[in-house]
Amino acid sequence: MNYILHILIMINIYLILSLSLNLIVGYTGLLSIAHAAFYGIGAYITTLLMMNMGLNFFIALFITIPVVMLVSLLVSFPSLRLKGDYFVLATIAFQVIVFSILYNWISLTRGPYGIPGINRPVLLGFKFDSLPSYFFLSLFFVIIVGLLFKLLYKSPFGRVLKAIREDEISAKAMGKNVDSLKIWSCLIGCGIASISGALYAGYVTYIDPTSFTLMESVFILSIVLVGGSGNFRGPIIGTIFMVILPEILRFLGLPDSIAPNVRQMIYGALLIILMKYRPQGLAGEYRFE
Amino acid sequence: MNNIILKIYNATKSYNGTKAVNGVSMNFSKGKITSIIGPNRAGKTTLFNLINGFLKLNDGKIYYNGERIDHFPAWKIARLGIGRIFQDIRVFNKITALENVLLANKDQPGENPIVSLFLRKKTLGKESVNIEDAKKWLKFVNLSDKEDSLAENLSYGQQKLLSISRLLAGGYDLLLLDEPTAGVHPSLAKTILHVIKNMVEEGKTAVVIEHDMKIIAEISDFVYFMHEGKVTFSGTPETVLKNSKVKEAYIGV
Amino acid sequence: MIWQFLANGLIRGSMYALMALGFGLIYNTTRIFHIAHGAVYTVAAYLFYTCAILLKLNVFVSLFLALFCSGILGVIIEFSIYHPLYKRKASIGIYLISSLGLYIFLINTIALFYGNETKTLSPGIEKTYHIGSIILTRIQIFELISFIIIFPIFLFFLKRIKLGKIIRALADNPELSTVVGINVKKIRIIIFFLGSILAGFTSCLGALDVGMDPHMGMNVLLIAAVAVIMGGVGIFESPVVGAFILGLLQNLLIWKVSSRWESMVTFMLLICFLVFRPQGILGKKRRLEET
Repeated sequence: MNYILHILIMINIYLILSLSLNLIVGYTGLLSIAHAAFYGIGAYITTLLMMNMGLNFFIALFITIPVVMLVSLLVSFPSLRLKGDYFVLATIAFQVIVFSILYNWISLTRGPYGIPGINRPVLLGFKFDSLPSYFFLSLFFVIIVGLLFKLLYKSPFGRVLKAIREDEISAKAMGKNVDSLKIWSCLIGCGIASISGALYAGYVTYIDPTSFTLMESVFILSIVLVGGSGNFRGPIIGTIFMVILPEILRFLGLPDSIAPNVRQMIYGALLIILMKYRPQGLAGEYRFE
Repeated sequence: MNNIILKIYNATKSYNGTKAVNGVSMNFSKGKITSIIGPNRAGKTTLFNLINGFLKLNDGKIYYNGERIDHFPAWKIARLGIGRIFQDIRVFNKITALENVLLANKDQPGENPIVSLFLRKKTLGKESVNIEDAKKWLKFVNLSDKEDSLAENLSYGQQKLLSISRLLAGGYDLLLLDEPTAGVHPSLAKTILHVIKNMVEEGKTAVVIEHDMKIIAEISDFVYFMHEGKVTFSGTPETVLKNSKVKEAYIGV
Repeated sequence: MIWQFLANGLIRGSMYALMALGFGLIYNTTRIFHIAHGAVYTVAAYLFYTCAILLKLNVFVSLFLALFCSGILGVIIEFSIYHPLYKRKASIGIYLISSLGLYIFLINTIALFYGNETKTLSPGIEKTYHIGSIILTRIQIFELISFIIIFPIFLFFLKRIKLGKIIRALADNPELSTVVGINVKKIRIIIFFLGSILAGFTSCLGALDVGMDPHMGMNVLLIAAVAVIMGGVGIFESPVVGAFILGLLQNLLIWKVSSRWESMVTFMLLICFLVFRPQGILGKKRRLEET
């Protein structure tokens, strides 16, 4: 039972990440390989606020989100000027720089040693230190975030983002302020991602930079690509599939020593096969052309 | 003197040393149809891109309703009332025809995410009104049955109609039409011209880039002939089409 | 002290340069951001290791086999993945994701068979040479000499030989090239073969110098990409400029500050170029207008 709850909590954490990346990649059409950076920044800011300033988890999170939104401007502004693979490269650069800061600014983040001893969140005296309670906490956030994106995806905002994805120039010719909309898209997408960071930190009670690498960004992007983007179902299916897959492999008796490599091999192969035969992923609406 | 809605004064645009548009001056009268003709690479589409704000002038000025617009961003120029149809159509492929037309509507408070999230009533109210309007415009071009089809699944002619529908829905005053009848069946071309004439009768102004002489003769109030980036001749359709230099430049097109 | 770091910088620059020339060859002609090139790099080193250490073949034979196979691998990748995408006019996103997927697949396959830890090829102390106050290992000197020999050959190939001219024509104007009758398919295969060999060569030397691990490819690949962009996209010899600047800059950092901040400085430099000078150092300002 504990095992199942753990899986469900991880699914919740990654659901928030994939739904938020979906807004940026699937709706606006900006291929970002930097989402783990915002995941990580969220985790670290929340943690540092909790541990260095003694703030409550929820208050720390409340402050973290707007700060991460500000940081997202570092990605959205280049997106206005950089096209195609230059933009993707810029997101890779951003991701590597953030990792480098988390890893090397030891006086602030303790670098590779990580930050242990994070407290489980406390709300009005109640401490979320049992697995079932944390599951419900993470579920609560998933429901809020899910509702938020369900509304946004279907709204005129979601629709105009899709127009930008399809043809930026046509969108401008129709009077859409494309630059402003791209910035909004990143503000919301990256800001929400920080919630996952906080949840992760509060759950594992220990964070270090190796959870927020370029490969992690690739993993989150893979969820959105495998599950499919441009709709609500895609990221959900993608998250469940990608989080459960390693567990299935373990269940099938794959030794732990080679499991991570086999898992990655499957992701890699999946990406190639999907791009070739089914670019809309398992359940997505948007077909990469 | 007719009311001049758009004035281009001495516009120049250079690319890698060559002047795609070279000292072009044009006046467009309100409520009239003006055609721009000329061989390929004469600078016609570049001129449209300059008016639209997709390209910046190297020299010269552009005035719309007396206001100088050549340094405005494209989206702002569209909001001022200048609409555009592209030579390569450019519908939004992977969304439905209805969504395509809906997007043309300039009054959508829900396009702001904060409004969409927190002012639900306002958003939904305006949205249902907009959907009704969009359906009306689709019906106007006989595409009602294709409402929920993805734009990329429509035929070329249907996509052209869709782009016209978007133009109608956008409530523009000045329409820039880049080869609106190219590549379609003659009967469809007739329909499109009919729509354009209707819009002008309702007070809009149209600027048309065209190659078909018959169409130019039929619909234009005034014609500019462009060649190698310059306006070399202008006048009523009759005078321009009879001009020997125009005929000469066109042989081989 | 400074001379040592200058020398190290030049040597590292040489290796970056050879890698970047190969990546640039592919990028300039096909515009494919060939992330899997990093996997080809990794595969070459492990092939070299397999031949030289596991099969105990002669060093030069091993090197030749590793280079040849990495060239073939590059060709296979073009043939099986990129060319089908090219025929169906896929967007940049699809190329990128396919290449990324291939990279992940290949390096994890290697990790599966060889393990994730770092391996070294030359046990024991490397022979060193003293030139003034500078100390260089035999391999480092070999790296520098390799570049000095290979780069002029590369230039000669591109400027004088017919094939090289065809390649440059293809890079300048892809559409026109097909019209003029250039066999684009064949040229692409040749380019991938040559580019992959350059990667393989750099990799084998690197393996002899500092060792190897399955995850080294991404970092090398990214540096090559940065070098190409800094030098100037579209110009085949420009990556050399970017590569040496990076090599020298990194060693300057190691000497004055710490090697920790290498990555960050490299990528901040990239962002500066992307935002302020996307055409690179040698490139001409291209108009990035709409429509």
